[in-house]
Amino acid sequence: MATIVKMPKLGLTMTEGVIVKWFKKEGERVEKGEPLLEIQTDKVNLEEESPADGIVRKLLYEEGKTVPILTPIAIIGEADEPLPEIERAAAPTPQEQTDETEDYIKASREESDVEKTEKPDEVSDNPSIGKYGKIKATPAAKRIAREYNVDLYQITGTGPNSRIQAADVERYIQYTQTPKASPVAKKIAQEKGVPLKDIQVESGKRVMKSHVLESLGGSKTAQQEGSVLEEIPLTGMRKIIADKMTESVNKAPHFYLRSEVDMTSLINVREELNKSLEKDGIKLSFNDILVKITAKALEKHRIINSRIKGDKIQMLKPINIGLAVALDNGLIVPVIKNAETKSLAQIARESRELIEKARNNKLTPDDYTGGTFTISNLGMFDIVEFTAIINQPESAILALGKIQDRPVVTPEKEIKIKPIMNITLSCDHRVIDGAEGAKFLKTLKDLMENPLRLLL
Amino acid sequence: MAMITYIQALRDAIREEMRRDENVFIMGEDVGIYGGAFKVTQGLLEEFGEERVKDTPISEAAIVGTAVGSALTGMRPIAEIMFADFITIAMDQLINQAAKIRYMFGGKAKVPMVLRAPQGSGTGAAAQHSQSLTALFTHIPGLKVVMPSTPYDVKGLFKAAVRDDNPVVFLEHKLLYPTKGEVPEEDYVIPLGKADVKREGTDVTIIAGSIMVPRAIEAAEKLQAEGISVEVVDPRTYVPFDVETITQSVIKTGKVIIAEDDCKNAGWGAEVAAKICESEAFDYLDAPIKRLAGLDTPIPYNPKLEKAVVPQVEDIIKAVEEMVN
Repeated sequence: MATIVKMPKLGLTMTEGVIVKWFKKEGERVEKGEPLLEIQTDKVNLEEESPADGIVRKLLYEEGKTVPILTPIAIIGEADEPLPEIERAAAPTPQEQTDETEDYIKASREESDVEKTEKPDEVSDNPSIGKYGKIKATPAAKRIAREYNVDLYQITGTGPNSRIQAADVERYIQYTQTPKASPVAKKIAQEKGVPLKDIQVESGKRVMKSHVLESLGGSKTAQQEGSVLEEIPLTGMRKIIADKMTESVNKAPHFYLRSEVDMTSLINVREELNKSLEKDGIKLSFNDILVKITAKALEKHRIINSRIKGDKIQMLKPINIGLAVALDNGLIVPVIKNAETKSLAQIARESRELIEKARNNKLTPDDYTGGTFTISNLGMFDIVEFTAIINQPESAILALGKIQDRPVVTPEKEIKIKPIMNITLSCDHRVIDGAEGAKFLKTLKDLMENPLRLLL
Repeated sequence: MAMITYIQALRDAIREEMRRDENVFIMGEDVGIYGGAFKVTQGLLEEFGEERVKDTPISEAAIVGTAVGSALTGMRPIAEIMFADFITIAMDQLINQAAKIRYMFGGKAKVPMVLRAPQGSGTGAAAQHSQSLTALFTHIPGLKVVMPSTPYDVKGLFKAAVRDDNPVVFLEHKLLYPTKGEVPEEDYVIPLGKADVKREGTDVTIIAGSIMVPRAIEAAEKLQAEGISVEVVDPRTYVPFDVETITQSVIKTGKVIIAEDDCKNAGWGAEVAAKICESEAFDYLDAPIKRLAGLDTPIPYNPKLEKAVVPQVEDIIKAVEEMVN
């Protein structure tokens, strides 16, 4: 029995993946567990292993193609197994359909796709499939299907002799590749000729009338101005960042607390520690030490390490600290899990690994999910201070500026030059009040200025 | 701009070309004293005299043969055949002589002549005086073939035909003669080989020539009320043929109807359909190309049957509705 390899769902937010590379050609033998292909998700590249032993009978998509999750992408079987039926069975089936999709599919065919996939030997009742299993589609329908990677066997044509026409393919794409939308939004989108899938909404939200109208207004001005130098598609990581940040700003009322930290001791301690760690090949960065210090401070102020879930605020047990890492084409936040339990050396090693993986696109979803608090440092860009947007569902984020020598009035009323770091805490006011945030920041500042207290 | 008839525009074109170039002259049956069977040449004898407006015997072979010979010796003859059906009598002169000489003399001789004739059904003239024979001429290398549909086009294209150094078959339509349209006073020439989008639309392209152009436009206007947007493209010249304009229209609409009043079998519509399939427009076709042509029968004398064998406005509307579904 042939095994159908499907595009895996590698993370909560993953809806589609790009086939970066096939490691096997059609006709080659593959063993279970052997890497079969490399997949690029919104955030990372991953190798996917073969689920079975056998001959790679069919690769259903070329390298570079974007494929929805759970869509069959390859068939592994015995060399002599009959293929056409398998091919049919393996035709891409959108599994995570919206209600509308299901209605559409039901309306357009008596039998559901899922059933068909399970019974590959049964002759299809799609009237658009003609003699010899050939699809009846116009050249234009075929061209659009090619462009959008749509399997025509999934579509029932409304043209003469059940021929699939361009409009049938467009409708199918509309239903299967668009988010849910309110009836009014759908109507306006259709009237104005705006593809629903091009309308940006918070992930998981329905497209509403206002979104459609917004998108109309937007495109009009851009066209009128004629001043666009280059258009970058809002897809993949860019879209996730756009969605998450907009969601956070819209949902969470932010407030900001600033403090100045005298870094004299921390600089000394870091130097001392690095001297003693040199033989182990470990070099602590300020970020590493700050992860440890932040974890310690969060232990004392559990409310900062919390999230809103439904109508409850959940204070979280693990302290998982995310480090915002800038990439060429976006940013990603790998997470150091249970930072409160880890030694500085462990944190240093782990963060080095994560940053390296992040830069090489090799993070696994495990590496960048589950954070409870985030640190973002722009000191290396000479930024003195900044305010960050909270990485939902977390409740706060710490923004670090550069360490700068500055004149400071000491408690003895003297002016001294000291290395100062400005730190800014963004808090979600739904969860954290000003005083709680301030207390946490005070603890943090004390620990930074007196790092030996980490030992207490 | 003046609103004048197709026949007036054509007459103006002949007159202006004869005034412009003394080598241009016209000959044919009854073109002189009678002013032409359809009055195209009315008044020309008075202006230009018998030397340049010549009545001929009833011998089409002689008319075309004389045109070929005089063209070879430096004249620019316009030969009128009273009904295009009778060009068949002059086929040897046209196909074996006019079309071949420039090639066979290695370009040293040329045949700058226009063979003009009215064709088409709808006047109750029966099977021998009603044919549209465009496809016969488009098949022959060495001939240019023009089939104008409006007063503006007939004037501009006729001037281009006279000024062309190759034999041009210029096919008018009897039913178009009285139709009116805007024509500029000043001299203008429409280059051969340029199609014209007669009406813009987005849902379906009708490729129509000659009498089928006004029929297609009338159908398009009625279909507009149903919310169907029809584009009408007129090739205007069949050799040379403007593939580009037609291709672009097909890419836009994805659906094509070719409307011709010739017979369907091996008609020029078949050639146009093939050209579309061979072009980049193929991938944009969203329905089989539909040919709307005359039945493969002689044209009947009975007026009702005569209408029935050639596509009318209602036939075009029906074809579009079926295609757009």
